[in-house]
Order: sequence, then structure tokens, then C-alpha cells
Amino acid sequence: MPDVVSSALAVVIEGPNGPQTYISLDAKGRATGFNGHVDLGTGITTALAQIVAEELDLPLSNVEIVLGDTARTPDQGPTIASETIQVAAIPLRKAAAQARNWLADRGARALNAPLGQVALKNGVVHWKDTQRSYADLLLDQKVTLIYDPDTPTKDPKDYTIVGTKTPRRDLEDKLRGAHLYIHDLHVEGMVHGHVLRPPYAGRDSGDFVGRSLIGYDERAVQDMPGFIAVVREADFLGVVAETAAQAQAIAEALPTRWRMPPNLPDMSKLADTIRHQPATPRVLDVTGDFDTALVQADHVKSRSYVWPYHEHGSIGPSCSIADWNGAQPIIWSGTQNPHVLRGDLAELVGLNAEAVEIRRYQAAGCYGRNCADDVGADALLLSRAVGRPVRVQLTRAQEHLWEPKGAAQVMDVQGGLKKARLDAYAIDTWYPSNRAPNLGLLLTGRVDPAPRPADMGDRTIVPPYDIANKRITVHDMAPIVRASWMRGVSALPNTFAHESFMDEMAFEAGEDPVAFRLKHLKDPRAMDLVRRTAEAAGYVPHNGPRLRREGRMAYGQGFAYATYVHGPFPGTAAAAAAWVVDVAVDLETGETTLSRVFVGQDQGLVINPDGVRQQIHGNVIQTASRVMAEEITFDEIAPTAQSWAAYPIQTFPAVPDIKTMLIERPDEPPLGVGESAAVPSAAAIANAIFDATGVRMREVPFTPEKLRRDLAVQAGGRVMLPAAQTHPARKSRKIGALVAALGGVLTLGAVSVPLHRSIPPTTPPTPATFSVETLARGKEVFALGDCAVCHTAEGGVKNAGGRAVPTPFGTVYTTNLTPDPETGLGRWSFEAFERAMRHGISREGHTLYPAFPYTSFAKIDGADMYALYAYLQTLPAVSAPTPKAQMIAPANLRNGVAAWNWLYHDATPFAPNPAQSEVWNRGKYLVEAAGHCSGCHAPRNGAGAEMPNMTGAVVEGWYAPPLEGLASVQMNWDEASLFAYLRKGHAPNASASGPMAEVIESLQEVPDPDIRAMSVYLASLMAPATESLPETRALPREADLPPSRASRLFESACASCHDPVFADSLTVARIPLTRAPALRAPTSEALMSVLNEGLRAPEGLDLRDMPSFRGEFSDADLTELTQYLRARFAPDLPAW
Amino acid sequence: MHTNILLTLGHIIAQSRKLMAKHGAKMKRTLTITLNGAEVTAEVPEHALLLDVLRETFGVNGPKYGCGKAQCGACTVLVDGVPARACVLMASRVSGARVTTLEGLVDPETGALSPVQQGFLDCEGAQCGYCLNGMVMTATALLKRRPDPNTEDIVQALRHNLCRCGTHKEIIASVKRAAELMRKRANA
Repeated sequence: MPDVVSSALAVVIEGPNGPQTYISLDAKGRATGFNGHVDLGTGITTALAQIVAEELDLPLSNVEIVLGDTARTPDQGPTIASETIQVAAIPLRKAAAQARNWLADRGARALNAPLGQVALKNGVVHWKDTQRSYADLLLDQKVTLIYDPDTPTKDPKDYTIVGTKTPRRDLEDKLRGAHLYIHDLHVEGMVHGHVLRPPYAGRDSGDFVGRSLIGYDERAVQDMPGFIAVVREADFLGVVAETAAQAQAIAEALPTRWRMPPNLPDMSKLADTIRHQPATPRVLDVTGDFDTALVQADHVKSRSYVWPYHEHGSIGPSCSIADWNGAQPIIWSGTQNPHVLRGDLAELVGLNAEAVEIRRYQAAGCYGRNCADDVGADALLLSRAVGRPVRVQLTRAQEHLWEPKGAAQVMDVQGGLKKARLDAYAIDTWYPSNRAPNLGLLLTGRVDPAPRPADMGDRTIVPPYDIANKRITVHDMAPIVRASWMRGVSALPNTFAHESFMDEMAFEAGEDPVAFRLKHLKDPRAMDLVRRTAEAAGYVPHNGPRLRREGRMAYGQGFAYATYVHGPFPGTAAAAAAWVVDVAVDLETGETTLSRVFVGQDQGLVINPDGVRQQIHGNVIQTASRVMAEEITFDEIAPTAQSWAAYPIQTFPAVPDIKTMLIERPDEPPLGVGESAAVPSAAAIANAIFDATGVRMREVPFTPEKLRRDLAVQAGGRVMLPAAQTHPARKSRKIGALVAALGGVLTLGAVSVPLHRSIPPTTPPTPATFSVETLARGKEVFALGDCAVCHTAEGGVKNAGGRAVPTPFGTVYTTNLTPDPETGLGRWSFEAFERAMRHGISREGHTLYPAFPYTSFAKIDGADMYALYAYLQTLPAVSAPTPKAQMIAPANLRNGVAAWNWLYHDATPFAPNPAQSEVWNRGKYLVEAAGHCSGCHAPRNGAGAEMPNMTGAVVEGWYAPPLEGLASVQMNWDEASLFAYLRKGHAPNASASGPMAEVIESLQEVPDPDIRAMSVYLASLMAPATESLPETRALPREADLPPSRASRLFESACASCHDPVFADSLTVARIPLTRAPALRAPTSEALMSVLNEGLRAPEGLDLRDMPSFRGEFSDADLTELTQYLRARFAPDLPAW
Repeated sequence: MHTNILLTLGHIIAQSRKLMAKHGAKMKRTLTITLNGAEVTAEVPEHALLLDVLRETFGVNGPKYGCGKAQCGACTVLVDGVPARACVLMASRVSGARVTTLEGLVDPETGALSPVQQGFLDCEGAQCGYCLNGMVMTATALLKRRPDPNTEDIVQALRHNLCRCGTHKEIIASVKRAAELMRKRANA
């Protein structure tokens, strides 16, 4: 125990594995306090330092606090239930007092003073005008005191440090970027792991857990850069590489096969599903005779209240580093439970707990059991396998999908009024949650994945009121999906039920809700809190909803009160809190604004008033978000949200005005404040909405959609908005039908039989014979046609062909354009080349598949064609045989393509229009011939041939917008903007993305005059026809749509870039979505491509990228979001 | 109208992009930026993200990984004074630019906190502090454009920065305090 040895004075407790230090002082008189709890981001370190400094009479700056390291701190259990100040700080305070007594004693002797008469102040012992500093007294000392829990502590009225405003100690380092979070830690020699989780995301019971990985193919990835290992144990699978990016790339490329898990029960009917899961009722309180009282009551009500699943949603996904260290592993962790984690990890790797050391670092804010412990297991398994320290950083998706959720909960309440008093009350709570066994233990099969209930559904399950007849029952049940404690645990939903029902009963009794509560309270401290909060908040008593209206707005006020009770039943009370909340409800949109939240809180002695107020603010804001906006949705197998995209939380605009009142009780012990102010939230808000509208919300979250629905149903109000339009599901492409329809024209087979004469091989002219000008022009034509894109295989040599081109009829491969004699164009004469380019026939006489755009290239003039040929002959020769085409349905290509060519291929050369300028004709030539713009921008007929006009087309999932016709006029193109666009990829009215960005990259080789000519020609195509009305020439403004889930998804997933604060940021979209071609396409297919693929522009261009959103949305969300985007940003076009 | 049964350039590009995304890039390129006032150069993989390069190559810990999708703002840096989300920004796009992180806001001579950092310290604009980087960087950019913001300006400027601890009230106060400190310094 190094801290015992190095300290001059230590107060220790004998533990099972030797002494554990609570307090140590060094020879300079500086103190260190050790606490087994951790700082979850609340600044608790500061409060603990205040406690130690107070008892030791030391300046605060001379006190350090060490939290959570298993080798240095006592095991005080997990940091849960707001216990740190209330429970875990007690030995710290007493140990500090014990050390102080020793110092007082020693000081008195040194000063020849009577024992007990010296004064201690700021680290100095005083007697009359003599003094000794702690440092003097501790010089050369080596004293160990055994902790005495009976040590008296300071009288709170003498406090000078506790109870005063004290700044956070860790903040300055955090502001400098100098604080080392677990994410920032670097361990010498560490490498990086990336885990692959099974398809049963977020599920932890059932016989498929730990038994679903069929196999993986390590050979497919072992040559990837940085590869170190693939590690598997049952369903645990991870890769290790030199860098994190490499590890992720390898993990994503690793082929794996998993068994699909069984479906979840129907999570869309949450309450019924939860009630029908196996559960064990535990009756906690039977007072009087509930059944009889209910029968004899004047008014009886049965109500159900439903709480959804929530994400903890730490802003930083969990991270950990582990060093196997020859079976003496060290794990650096952001855990909430260092000592629990140590036991779990020891079990995981078959060691004694003493062999495992957890070093605790701060992580992102933690509000309950997240993935912090799981990732420690990941890192440890990987480190053991490779024998090096391994860091694992979970992705946002892994954290969102796998974190033990804040559990859903159902509360069924029955109650009866007798003589305007609540005479009977029964609550049945279903809480499908447990303590979330470490995922590493489950995936490796170390623990049995049997459903395991826990007993945490009983927090604040007994209402605080004096009710003559009660029956309180919790139904203990295993999780349906991985779930565990989250801020407020079950007390928050239980209180939602109690305090909503009290309001409902006050209404039945015709009494004011606060007066009604007071009538049922006996505890004077509770009554004081309720009264003082109501008074200070300016609460307006009311019997029944007041329905205050002003135009479309309705205003209301709600009250709720609760004591957060934690720990095993009957539990321990933490601070009690009361809410008065004012709401404004927009009756047209259903939006509820919390205009003010007033919180009164009784926490006994206040250690750090600012810290307490911050905890209240945090509880109010976080819980308001949970209550108003948050809910996890599920598909058949797993939760759907992989990021904030599909799990929006409230942000700054929703933050209410918050007022706090701390009730001063310096003589009472300090009570935990980490969760209490959250507990009354949902009921207070529901009660306020009722006061405003007469509508009673019994299911969290209170979304605008629910309120719109309930305003119509419950209050008999008019339906404010039409139901969302339904649109037929996106039609999948019926390729099979097309194949059948085309059968008569195009029956394809192996491209093997020459149909045309072969042109004999020749030796082409040597490069030296081509003029510099010819070669330069050839390079431009090559760029204009963007030939390299198709003629370079993935990972292959540039222009050497071999790119697989899947078609509905099979796979063909592009050819080698380099002058290699055997496999490329090295033996092709210009005649052969020109025939291929103009007629789609290879040198040997094979018909080329019309994916090769010879229909456009036929229009290239002789000089350009020769220049292109010349340029290709100067490329470095690369031997690369073209793989053989693999066609389905072997048949007669001769009839097919020959007929197709006869029908659709016009090989006549380009003919200038004498009525137009030279530059216009030049532009038309470039666009139609080598540029082959029509290849994408012209729609095709049933046989796949281009239609004559470039009126826009969906091309393999991307939308090439119209280059002529009315729809193109709306985009306000002119020559200057076209030039800018084709030159740089960006103009004020458009920005290139997707395949077009690659085309722009290729066009970099094309000289300005040619770009200018294309701009002149295209501008003429897109000029407004004189007969078109001015209003049809402009794009519409975006539509103002009512709030919906889709609008929230947009705000959370898209708005930071598409409705940006700083429009000139490098990471925001350059053009508004009203101008986005994908949203103006005939179908949502192109939008889906953008969402799935993201956008990655060539690095050389000043364009923007967009991350992929593949898998981020459920099918239902995706449908709603795409329809919303269309309706909002292309309101002039038909809905999708 | 799905008549595009023939293969086109667009399709092939789309295929190529999928494969690129899958296998990652193998090429390296030289990146030179002015990071917090000092010119730095490194060989970085093609398509490397600025956030990874800052944290792993240049050892700067201020910007944090939060979501990788420009949703939360924890990774925000200033590129030529304008906030950008480093988690979605390819490092090559800032070649030659001035990149400023939390570390670069302090006075290089004295080590004193910037007015915005000091404002956050004075008003305790953080609980866990993981989102703090994004809040400070965004507020710094806001105050440059609008030295005397009202609450609504601050709320709107920070509306795409997520904080899960619920520190919003303190953050708004911190930005106001920062504006005050900037005015004081300007008048001094």
C-alpha cells in the first residue's frame, strides 16, 4: 500500500486484503482523501475535498482526492443512488476528524498546551501566541491510525468551507484540453482494438447469447495494413491493429457469419408486452384493507402510466485500455463501479480479483450503467490475446445499441376517494431490468445468459402520503432488452404514476392539487418543502384545469413532489424535491414549451451550494428531454437507434428557465442530490399540460403528435392537422420483369463469337511520332470522357481495366486501355480503335456491351479521336488480361446487340448547327460526344437506349438532374454559374456531389475554353422558354411543416449541416436542400443512396463530404424522414 | 421509370465508392497545417479524418470523439476561425489552413485562458466537460461575429451542440460572461 508507506500520517481500515487508506497526510502537511466512489462528471471531487478540508482545518488547496482506483481506494460499492455524499463520504469525514485529533494532540504537546485547548486553523495548531504547522508536526513521522467510526466530527455551525460556494477543481484543466479523460490516455506500447458485436444488439438473455457466431474469415483481412490479430471467444469477436482507424477498417472488412436471433416480442405495444413477460410479484406494503376500501369509495379510478426505454447517452462512447501484464492485468477505465468491475474482469479471465487492478479515469458524464464496464472486458480479452496493452474505443453505434437501457416501466394504479380523501391506493409496477451483467461475461459464455430479474423496481414505490388502505406491489422481472439503472431509476416512473394520480384525484375531489397533497402529508419536513416551494414559485391554486388560452396557445401550471428513495426496500431517502412547472401548449402544433421550472429541494446540510444547483439544473434539463422527446424504438430484433440521428435529445432552444430554492437545514445530515430533482419531473409536466388543455398525458414522451391526437380525442377539440399522408411503399425495381420484357430484343450470352470482321493486329506508331499538341488534346479528351473511372479496377492499376460491371444479364469487365500488346491496345490500329469507339465492335470483331458509351463516342470528331488514340498509346503498358464476362442465360448475342444497334445506334458524325455560334457548336460537340453527358442525364427507353433529351434520370441509385426542360430552368443556371460548376464543382446555385463530383475531378484536365463552350451550350438548353411563366422559373421556398418525429430526426441528424449556424463552415452543406437534386428526383431512390453511401468528394476539389447514415434509421423512420424532406424542401413536387 | 438497365458511369463510380469505403484507403499524403499557431506536418492516410489526425498524430486532446456524424459537436475545431466538425472533415480539406483547438485558445505568451475559457471557468460551464470543447469553440466563433450576444443568439449558436449533463444554463451564462470579459479587455 504505497500511500500508507509514503505518508507521514494515515488513517486506514483493515480490509480483507490489507489496510485501505481513507486519509493520508504527507510531511508537508498536505492531505489526500481516498474514496471508492468515482466522479461521474458531477464535480463530486470538489465536495469531498471540502469535507476533508473542513474536518482537518486545512486550506482547500492542500487537499487532494483520489477516487475509484482499486489499488488505492476502499471498496465502497458502485457509485449509484446519489450515495457518495450521503454514505460514502461518512468514513472520509470521520477519518479526517481522527487525523485532526491526532494533530491537535501532537500540537498541544509540542506547544506545552493543555490537551483540547489548542486551536487549529489553515493547517496550523495555535496556542496563545505560539503555533506549530502540520508540516512541523508531521516531519519524520510514520503514523498509521486504525479508522474509528465513533470519532466525533465538527459541529456544522463551525463550518467555514462546507456550505460555501466553491469552484470546481477540475474545470481549468478541462478548459485547457489538459485534463486526461479515459479517452485521452496513452499507455506505452499500446495498440488498438475494435470489436464486432453480434446481431442481437442490446439483448442479454436467451440461449442464442454467446452461441451465435458461426464463423469468420481471417484470411480475408490479414494482409490489411496494421493487422495484428483477430480474437474470438464464443460470441466475443474483435480485431487488433496498430491504429484505431486500421482496426476499424479491418473489423468492417472481416467477413463474419452469425445466426440470426429470435424476434423480440412486439415492442410497439410496450405496456402489454411488459405486463405479459414472466414476473414475480413482490408485495411491499399492505396497509388497511385495500379491496374493501375500493368498494366503499365514492369515486374510483384505474389508470395506467407507461414509461419508455431511454438511452443514457453519454456524449463520449465508452473507452478503456487494458494491459494483460503477465496475468497481473491493469485496466484503465471510466467505470462507475471499479470494485465490481474488478470482480467481473477477474471472473472473465479466470484470475483472483486481487490480481486485477482498475485505474479509474473520468469519462463522459455517466447517468447509470452504460458500456464503460463492457469495454473494459473487450480491452482485456484483446490484450490477453496479443500480449500488449490494447485500447478499445466503442463507436457511437455500439454504445447506443448495446448500452443497458434506462428501463421501460408500466405502472397500473387503482384508487378510491372517500369524502374527498384518497382512501385506497394500489400500484402495480413492472420494471424489466436488472444490474446488467458485464457483456464480456455474456458474450464469452462465462455467465449463463438466463433471464435474471433484479429488485430495483421498488424505488419510491410507496407514495409519501397518508393513505388508510394501500397495496404496493412490484413485479420483479428480467430485462426484455439489456436494461439497468438510469438516473432516477424506477423512482422516476413510479413518481410519474403517484403524482399524476394525485392530480387526477384532486380533480375528482374538486380540490387544488397542492392543497390536496398537503391534506395527505404528515411529515412536517415534507409539508414544509411543498408549502414553501409552492409559495416561492408563485403557484396559483386551482380546482380543475384552468384552460387559460391566448390565441392558439394554452397555458398551465403543474406541481409534483417526491422523495427519492434508493437502496434495497424500504430503502434510504435522498434529497426531496418539488417542482412547479409552467407550460405553454401550442394547440395547433401540439408543441409544449416548458417556460419555467421552479425546483424546491431539501437536501439537509448543503456541502457546495453551486454544486447542488448544478445538479438540479442538470436533472431538470436531462429529464425534461427524456419526458418530452425521448423514446427508444425497436425493429423485430433490436433497438434501432445507432446515434443521435434516430434518438433526438433536447438542445439549447428547449431549455426552460430554471429557478431553484435550497431549503437550509444545516443541522440535518447531507443527502444525495444527484437524482432527486429529476424524480417529480414527468408528473409535474403532465399536470401542467392538464391544467392548460384538460388533456391527461399518461405515456412518456409527451410528443406534439400525441398531444395533437389527444387534444382531438380527450378534450373533444378539433383535429388540428390531417393525418400524415400515406404513400405507397417505394417500389422495388422489377429487374426480372424487365429482363423478360426485353427478351425478344436482347438475349445475351457469353461474348465469345465474333460477329464482325477482325482487324489484324499491328504495331502502332511509336509515341515519338505523336505531336505534343496531339497528346495534350488526347489527354483532355480522355479526361472529358472520364475514361479512367471505368477502366480501372478496384485496387488495380490505373487504366488497365478489369473493373467488374454487374448488369441485369450478368457481369462484364472493362478492358485494358494501356498499350500492352497482349492484353491491352498495343496491337490495335487506329482503324480498330475508331471502330470500337464509333460502333461498339472490338478489334477481334466481338460486339461490345452497350454499357460502353459508343453511342456518344460515335460523335467524336476525327482529330479528337486520333488524339485520344495517340494518348492511350503513350500510357505505361500494363499486362492485365480482361476477365471473361459471366453472363446468365447463354443465348444469341448477335441478334440482341445487333438489333439493338440497328434500332438505337446512330453513328453519324456530329454536325454543327450553322445558325449557332462556333462556341455553342463546340460546346454541343463536347457535351454530346466525348463528354457523353446524356449517358447519365438522358432517360432511357424500355430497351435501355437513351431518349433524345437530357431531362434527368435516375442512374443506378443516383439522380442526374435535367439539363434541359422546365425543371432545369428552375435551377437558375447561366453560363457563368455553369462554368464555375464545371470548373470547380461549385456555383452559387449548385454543388457537385456523388458521381458528378468525380466527373468534375476528371474535368480538371479540360482547358477553360472547352469548359466555357460546354457552359454556353448547356446554358442555352436551360434558358427559360419565353412562354414559361416567371413563377414557374423559380424554385419554391421550403414548406413550414408541423412538428413530427421526422422533424425531430431532421433536427438531430441533418440540421447541423443542412440548417447550419455557421454557413461558411467547411462541414456544412453549401447549397440549401431546396436545390438538392436528390430531393427533386422522381423517386426517393437517389436520396436513399446519399443517405446510405454518404458523399465523399475527391480530395483535390473544394467540395463537401457527408457521412453515411446507413443503418441509422429504422425502415419506418426512413420512410417518414424521406417523405418529410420531400414535402419540406420540394413542396412543388408530388409527394413520394 | 426504371429503364436504366444499362450500366453507366454513375453506377461504376457508385460501386467504386462502396469498395473504397469498405477497404479503406492505403495511400498516404503529406499534410501541413498551422495548428494552434505552429506549422506542423505529417504523413496521413488518404481520407483520414481531421479529428483522428489531431488526436492521434498531433496529440491534441481538446477535440473529442462523440458521434462521428457531426451531430453532437464535441469534436469542433476552428478552421480559419470558423467552426468545423472534425469528425466528418477529411484532413486533406484543411491543408494549409489555420486549425485552432481548445489548447490553442490560451495566450501563448502568458498561458492565460482566453476570455471564453475564463467565462466558462467563472460560470462553471461544464459538468463532465466532455462537450466543453465544442461549446467553447463554437462560442468563440459566435463572439467573434457577435460580440454582444443576447440569450437567444447564444441558444441559436449552440443549438447543434449536445450536452447530456444538462449544463445549458451555466453554459449560456458562461458565454455572456465571456462577452463581458472581452469587452473589458478591449477597453483596457
